[in-house]
Amino acid sequence: MSTHAFEPKILVFSTNIISDPGIDQAGMSHINYPSSSRILRVPCSSMIRPEFIIHAFESGFDAVFIAADGGDCPYLSDCSVRTARNVQRASEMMKENGIDQSRLRMAGICSVCSDAFAKGVKSLYDITKGLGPVRSEGHDRAS
Amino acid sequence: MKCRQEFKLTEGKKERIGVYVCHCGGNISDYVDVKKVVEEIKKGEPNAIIVKDLMFDCADASQSEMIEDIKAQKLDRVVVAACSPKLHEATFRNMAKRADLNPYMLYHADIREQSSWAHEGDMEGATSKALAHVRAAIAYVKSAEPLEKIKSETTHSVLIIGGGIAGLRAAIDLSRMGVNVMLVERSPALGGHVAELGEIYPYYTSGPEIVKGLVDELKGRDNVAIYTNATVMSYSGYLGKFEVKVKVTHRQPGSEYSEITLHVGSIIVATGFDTYRPPKGEYGYGTVKGVVTLPDLVKALGDGSKELIYEGRRIREMAFIYCVGSRQKPPEDGGHANLYCSRYCCNAATSQALTIHRRFNNVKIYHLYRDMRTYGRNELMYEDAAKGGSIFIRFDEDHPPLVAEDGDRCRVTFWSSLIENQPVDILVDLVVLVTGMEPRQNEELNRTLSLPAGSDGFYKEIHPKLRPVETNITGVLISGTAQAPRDVRETLSSASAAAAKAASFVLKNELELDPFVAFVNPQACEAHQECIKECPYGAIELVEELGKKARVTSAKCKGCGACVAVCPTGAIQLKGYTNMEIKSMIEELAR
Amino acid sequence: MTELPEEAYDVLVIGGGIAGMEAAIDLGDMGFKVALVEKEPTIGGKMLLLSKVFPTLDCASCISGTKTSTVSHHPNIRLLTYSEVAGIERVDSGFVARVTEKPRYVDASLCTSCGECEDACPIIVPNEFDFGLRGRKAIYIPFDTAVPKNAVLDLDNCIYCMQCERVCPADAINFLQVPKAHTLRVKAIILAVGFKLFQAEKKKDYHYGEYPNVLTSMQMDRVVAPTRPYNAVIRPSDGKEPQNVGYVLCTGSRDRTVGNPRCSQVCCMYSMKQAQLIMGSLPTADITLYYMDIRAYGKGFEEFYRQSRDMGVKFVRGKVGKIEQKPDSNLTVYYEDTEGSGGMRKADHDLMVLSVGLLPNTEVAGLFKNVKLDLDEIGWIRIMNETRSSVQTNIDGVFAAGCATGPKDIPDSVLEAGAAASQCAAYIRGASASITAHEVPAGI
Ligand SMILES: Cc1cc2nc3c(=O)[nH]c(=O)nc-3n(C[C@H](O)[C@H](O)[C@H](O)COP(=O)(O)OP(=O)(O)OC[C@H]3O[C@@H](n4cnc5c(N)ncnc54)[C@H](O)[C@@H]3O)c2cc1C
Ligand SMILES: Cc1cc2nc3c(=O)[nH]c(=O)nc-3n(C[C@H](O)[C@H](O)[C@H](O)COP(=O)(O)OP(=O)(O)OC[C@H]3O[C@@H](n4cnc5c(N)ncnc54)[C@H](O)[C@@H]3O)c2cc1C
Repeated sequence: MSTHAFEPKILVFSTNIISDPGIDQAGMSHINYPSSSRILRVPCSSMIRPEFIIHAFESGFDAVFIAADGGDCPYLSDCSVRTARNVQRASEMMKENGIDQSRLRMAGICSVCSDAFAKGVKSLYDITKGLGPVRSEGHDRAS
Repeated sequence: MKCRQEFKLTEGKKERIGVYVCHCGGNISDYVDVKKVVEEIKKGEPNAIIVKDLMFDCADASQSEMIEDIKAQKLDRVVVAACSPKLHEATFRNMAKRADLNPYMLYHADIREQSSWAHEGDMEGATSKALAHVRAAIAYVKSAEPLEKIKSETTHSVLIIGGGIAGLRAAIDLSRMGVNVMLVERSPALGGHVAELGEIYPYYTSGPEIVKGLVDELKGRDNVAIYTNATVMSYSGYLGKFEVKVKVTHRQPGSEYSEITLHVGSIIVATGFDTYRPPKGEYGYGTVKGVVTLPDLVKALGDGSKELIYEGRRIREMAFIYCVGSRQKPPEDGGHANLYCSRYCCNAATSQALTIHRRFNNVKIYHLYRDMRTYGRNELMYEDAAKGGSIFIRFDEDHPPLVAEDGDRCRVTFWSSLIENQPVDILVDLVVLVTGMEPRQNEELNRTLSLPAGSDGFYKEIHPKLRPVETNITGVLISGTAQAPRDVRETLSSASAAAAKAASFVLKNELELDPFVAFVNPQACEAHQECIKECPYGAIELVEELGKKARVTSAKCKGCGACVAVCPTGAIQLKGYTNMEIKSMIEELAR
Repeated sequence: MTELPEEAYDVLVIGGGIAGMEAAIDLGDMGFKVALVEKEPTIGGKMLLLSKVFPTLDCASCISGTKTSTVSHHPNIRLLTYSEVAGIERVDSGFVARVTEKPRYVDASLCTSCGECEDACPIIVPNEFDFGLRGRKAIYIPFDTAVPKNAVLDLDNCIYCMQCERVCPADAINFLQVPKAHTLRVKAIILAVGFKLFQAEKKKDYHYGEYPNVLTSMQMDRVVAPTRPYNAVIRPSDGKEPQNVGYVLCTGSRDRTVGNPRCSQVCCMYSMKQAQLIMGSLPTADITLYYMDIRAYGKGFEEFYRQSRDMGVKFVRGKVGKIEQKPDSNLTVYYEDTEGSGGMRKADHDLMVLSVGLLPNTEVAGLFKNVKLDLDEIGWIRIMNETRSSVQTNIDGVFAAGCATGPKDIPDSVLEAGAAASQCAAYIRGASASITAHEVPAGI
């Protein structure tokens, strides 16, 4: 596969109350971001198991973007801290599996933070494009 | 892959799925090839009994069509692919209910805001994204289980801890709503601080009158039980069913105290504040004669005398020094300081100055302040005090005034930028330290309830705007100055607000809670207890009788799922977002 | 006008800002049936338009968004937007309210909020929800987070070109709609009509409306919001990023010359908030606040003030006398120094923000027909006996909350709304409650 034709697949974890509306807002404002992104919503970003992230890479995603609740989480005032800790764990697991850690990114996305979201996904897309498909990395070893 | 194998096992079940892809009159279909999505699903998903594209999924006619399909084709799962679920998920869940389908067997996939509108001009990209989202939704409903709102009985009673004006106000509201109220007050009398105050700003009513007004409203109400000289000893249970043990000390000789057990559905903590006590030497407190605190002054003014005399000293000139014990500088060594503003004090001090101007002739008052925070209409008191003969002088936090003894008077030295920072001395008969509020010392109660406090030491709400009276312990609410410094009116507001919340828990005798709560698969639980540590709501416990397994109390769970992320074995999961549901969606999204 | 049959509710809440929404949700959660009437085409009030909100700097839409969606889906809440209360009469122990629902000329049950009509409409007028900073069409969706999210046609500006009707994929445009007259029979009422902003034009020496680079704080809150009109923090005259912003606090407050001697309670805090947000977007910008006293009195406020100083926001104690525009559209501020060496001084800025005060919505008194609602000297709804209740008006069964009774920040508005809900519930249940006997110790 030539890197030229390569379209990185990005899994976005969003949250029902905060970041998913922020991602909607990007659509409403017709702000474009890579269409190879896929969005999966959960109640709160602190529930994302590191295992889910690894599962995404195993299933063929080239990158994962955590659109976290940030300081606006309706459940937990320290949501960012918890999410960051879990993401760090996932990142370590990626390292163990030989997956480039820059394929994983977390950012607090508020319910109208469409720009921040679009910029974040685009830059992750660009980075991943440079890295090539995840299957070229340690994934084979991982499964 | 592991998940797919799990899938194969359930494939025999033969789900009957209905899939409805919306055009949104072109808003979706202009950039998403809706027909292609439908064809792909038909091709790839044998259990999708019905796959349709509709001009508007949300239209009444479309909903009726879905209901007919669900009934005629015995559909047990439905996927709606349309706009954002924030707009219409509730619409479609109601539709499912009308079709006698469990509303949680429906998944609403977003293919407008997150597909067609986000990827205009990229038909291929938008279509494959929409298709992936629909496939993931199908994967979700395949592993979904019917969920029901969690119903839990509640005791029709509320316990209020603290009988200051906050506790009294909450008691009145709840009692009038028909809720049984038990009020526990530690001291022998009701009314808290207000009972000891003289005239209160800006109403010119005396503290005892205010307390009497509230207590009178409670009198004769037969659903209120008030226990004075009483404290909470222990508590257990959860929202709807708390059991609280209270110790009541008796005044009569003989029986020293009795212990009572109360059963309540919710608890309101209204334990108030302590006034700041300056350490010896702060602005001459305790070392210079004639230096008193604001509460001391208020008490002295309460006696109705014609002349202003304090401890034998006739007061002709006096000074207020503001922000004592409030707005303190963060100490360099990281030690404790009251960084916050105590809110009531600028108003209370100017109002006391007004009272003095009104009652006694020719008393000169200096106000040494940092920022005059007579917010709102209290500004008028500030204006009036200035007109009435008060002199306002501003000082900087880096140059606080000094207080020293000077014969039988006090000498106050201050620096003002307006006089080029030269020290100025004034001689006064009385120095009033405008002392702030502090969190109430309440070790016993804090140990019993383990309510979290903020960095300022006052009890902490979950969110000042979203859940302003709720705490980490579901069903235990905070109000009044136990939460933050406040004046009378603001205290009454927060007390009533807590009463409203408590009423929403207990008024209906039965609570309906969202089904999205954590649950434990006991087979997989290895008692690592990570979830217990992670849960800020104390909703999870280790149960020995189950053979050391974690167990969730649904009534305490808020459904964040933080526990899910940390479980080493995946034993604890969230209803509606199980690990299986999420993983199977990930797989479909990756296709 | 279509007359609709009478409907009965427990409570009528007037005003769908944060206070009205909170009160309606609290009552709905307790099991009462509530009608919520909002005069604008969307609920949310001022808060939904704000950027981030002090003192925690959480995003305003994230917080109000959960409330707007709860209100719109709540089984016990009937929402009437774009509706005006024509009159309220006391009848027996309750009230009868006549409410006129204005025609949107868009069938809300068909509209999918796609915005095609907006794109097609040729008429542009200033957008009131952006306080004139941006235009909107004659047919428009108020803003992205509006609830209900439906288009509304402003007939006053429509030229009947029928473009919207032609492009609407849902055939939702209906020029034949007429007003609907609702008659609501209720047991109690909560007034949550909020506030009005001080009209900055009245401070003539500040030249608001004349100098392009003099904005109000409400406009500035829009400029720093994520949904901001220009998609960047820029000044209006030439689109440049401001490097030196000045704030005039107490514009229209603590000022007898404009008839408002009171303090508006929120301006110090929101000005510091905006300063922090501007510094976030434009890290090299200088921000100066001209103030009399910094009133950071609420929970977490003083800490916020200290944080602002630590971030480098400049605080100058002084009274701004006038603002003058220079040929390059920069501005000179003349102020009386009330701290340093005193006297009149001047300073240059490239953008000035007027921190306008909050004023009452006095029309509320006119809603009542056969009873009289008391307002205070300035026109805020008067609370009868504040040492007893913070929400009871002079009319039995009528409560008030939020900025309807005086300026207030969001946390206090929310608490007051809860209080109104509580006392409203107590009022309604008061007579009929089934009261269980309980032992009461003598001598309380
Ligand atoms: C000097 C001074 C002047 C003031 N002047 C004014 C004024 O002019 N205008 C104005 O509006 N406000 C004024 N205030 C503020 C006013 O006093 C408070 O707003 C009010 O007292 C708050 O009431 P509360 O019920 O929250 O707390 P509190 O008055 O502190 O009452 C709390 C109650 O809880 C009880 N309690 C505590 N712990 C326990 C426990 N563990 N178990 C059982 N019971 C417990 C206490 O005994 C007390 O009765 C003034 C305050 C001070 C100090
Ligand atoms: C520039 C600015 C920035 C601010 N920033 C902050 C901040 O950061 N943090 C903070 O805590 N507070 C902030 N505030 C204060 C905040 O805006 C208010 O506390 C809050 O909006 C009050 O809500 P409310 O519901 O009482 O009133 P409003 O928001 O005014 O809502 C009233 C509602 O009632 C409707 N209405 C009025 N009359 C009628 C009628 N007759 N019939 C039907 N409906 C009617 C109105 O259309 C409106 O929707 C700020 C204020 C301003 C001006």
